[in-house]
Amino acid sequence: MVLDYRKLVTKIPVEKREIFSEKLVDFILTSKNDEKMPNQLANAMLYHWQHDLLKSESGMAVLLESALLLEPEKTFSALDELQMANITRQIKRQ
Amino acid sequence: MVKFGIEFVPREPYWKIIYYAIQAEKGGFSNLWITDHFNNRNVYVTLTAAAIYTNKITFGPGVTNPYLVNPVFTAQATATLNELAPGRVVLGIGAGDKTTLESVGVEMAKPLTAIQEAIDIFRKITSGESVAYKGEVFKIAGASFLFKPRGRIPVYVGAQGPKMLELAGKIGDGVLINACHPKDVEYAVNCVKEGIRQAHKKLDEVDVAAYTSFSVHEDLKKATKAAVPVVSFIVAGSPSILLERHGIDLKKADEIREALKANDWGKAFGAVTPGMIEAFSICGTPEMCIERIALLLKSGISQFVVGSPIGSNVREAIDLISEKIVPHFQV
Repeated sequence: MVLDYRKLVTKIPVEKREIFSEKLVDFILTSKNDEKMPNQLANAMLYHWQHDLLKSESGMAVLLESALLLEPEKTFSALDELQMANITRQIKRQ
Repeated sequence: MVKFGIEFVPREPYWKIIYYAIQAEKGGFSNLWITDHFNNRNVYVTLTAAAIYTNKITFGPGVTNPYLVNPVFTAQATATLNELAPGRVVLGIGAGDKTTLESVGVEMAKPLTAIQEAIDIFRKITSGESVAYKGEVFKIAGASFLFKPRGRIPVYVGAQGPKMLELAGKIGDGVLINACHPKDVEYAVNCVKEGIRQAHKKLDEVDVAAYTSFSVHEDLKKATKAAVPVVSFIVAGSPSILLERHGIDLKKADEIREALKANDWGKAFGAVTPGMIEAFSICGTPEMCIERIALLLKSGISQFVVGSPIGSNVREAIDLISEKIVPHFQV
């Protein structure tokens, strides 16, 4: 089953979105796994960044999907650290 | 008021470079420069992405060279970019790096003449003229675009030596001075001014930029650590006269050169001294960088270009520059 990232990010509490998106951007930009980034996601990330939409639900969905592809362990750790283990569980289930 | 420019090397994938470019635009930078080396990703593909994902920043190759890239092709690429982002495109052109050119069997012959002719050809063809050219370096039987170029593209000349700096002042709309130390920048600006004087232009008609190796971090050690590899390459590529001007031990410089040739990074980076970092980079906390930039401004530069490495974490460094350094010079 394909993970619906747009639906998944609705579970992120609004007050945690800023700090979580910052962490995700950092994981993506400092990752050495560049080749794992699909160009459609890369372009979507740039579009959202250009239009200040990275913290919107669609922007968060792009970041989360990208970070999970490039740096899954770091992303799971950040989810746990921010007490969002329910999202980790949901991702791992699928 | 001084403008801030930023340089990126497209060794990284386009989406990282463009993320930083958007960030720089939001943070108050006015110019984006992308380096052009055959062994990195292509400069014009990267600039095309920049044209699409940015809205107001001015951008261009920083710098291309006329030996590996024929000026007719440079004109075509930049004129097409100028359709994507009208009025935001500039050309940075210099003689290139001798070692890189030699590695692909290209000789850097008559650099002053080559730059002068290349700019002449570039300007003619981008203004819609048909070009027949019999130069010492370039010979064109007859070339013109089958499309109408959209507006004039300013030309910045990348320069380091006195004659090239003078030529840059004479024929350039801008100059990219490859130097960091106030002594070097002051000397370079004086050469540029001489060229401007000879061309009977006004000083403010030429955008004079210091194109620096820059590294900023709140922690000086981290800023320095990021600067060391870049400085080692600058030292290795610098002529003895320049090293001596900064009191750098030539034997130490040779040691670095040999270690880099042997890919012994540890030895090369370990041989970099604080004096080398001082001479060939602007490196430190935001406050230290502000002090150094202020010294360069006294020489008469109108653009300050933040070049590689920028910082140990590029995203954090751009934020630091945007929040602490750029505003300092905008009051």
